[in-house]
Amino acid sequence: MNTDPLKKKWANAIQTIADLSKGDPIHVDPLEKRWAYVILAIASLFVAIIMIDALVHDINPPSHVETIDSARLHLSKEFAEDNLGVQVDGNGNVTVRIVAGRYGFYPKQVTVPSGTPLKFRWVSMDVLHGIHLPMTNMNTMILPGYVAELKTDFPKPGNYPLLCNEYCGMGHDHMWGSITVVAKEHWTAPVTTASKGDSDHE
Amino acid sequence: MSQLSEEERQKIINSSPIGTWALMLTVSLGMVAAWLFLYYGVFLPRGAID
Repeated sequence: MNTDPLKKKWANAIQTIADLSKGDPIHVDPLEKRWAYVILAIASLFVAIIMIDALVHDINPPSHVETIDSARLHLSKEFAEDNLGVQVDGNGNVTVRIVAGRYGFYPKQVTVPSGTPLKFRWVSMDVLHGIHLPMTNMNTMILPGYVAELKTDFPKPGNYPLLCNEYCGMGHDHMWGSITVVAKEHWTAPVTTASKGDSDHE
Repeated sequence: MSQLSEEERQKIINSSPIGTWALMLTVSLGMVAAWLFLYYGVFLPRGAID
């Protein structure tokens, strides 16, 4: 096989790159350069604001990794049917456990207090699902085999729709629920029993 | 049809592009203002996700 033409082609390409790197052979209009500097400055400003905010307020991207057997959720203590929904522990921490699957959320509706730190624990009983609450920042994927844990608070009372935003099958567009946020002073903690809130998985 | 003399034309070409500066300033300030509004006025008040 004659490789000479290919070698010449590569040699020419390398020579062209070498020529380009000498001096400033590409003319860039000074106005375009200034535009580029302005865009870089704006992008740097935005990144700096986000980084400073994250550092000052100690905001980190959700990084919780916890596995669970999706096929045996109903047998787990934590995600058994009786333990789903809103629970408050002895220290007043509010935890919401919701199972996604079969084109629905279980429970379909929960009521939480506004302006209160909330811990959401989402699991899937079948395939990949996602959640999105319009008008809030809540948005995550729910992978089967993992617990998706998010901590947030809802400053404004209201009724927020809960939608699945990962295509999960023919019934995907019927997969919805709602989260009702009521003013803190009007919210009543659900009655808990001693058996609730335990975790029997790793 | 241009009514400018060659001298006037050259003067304009060699002068600072004020219109472009104004456009750059307007677009840049508008973009920064819109971003700050979305970040501080919409995103952060909805509550951080941790």
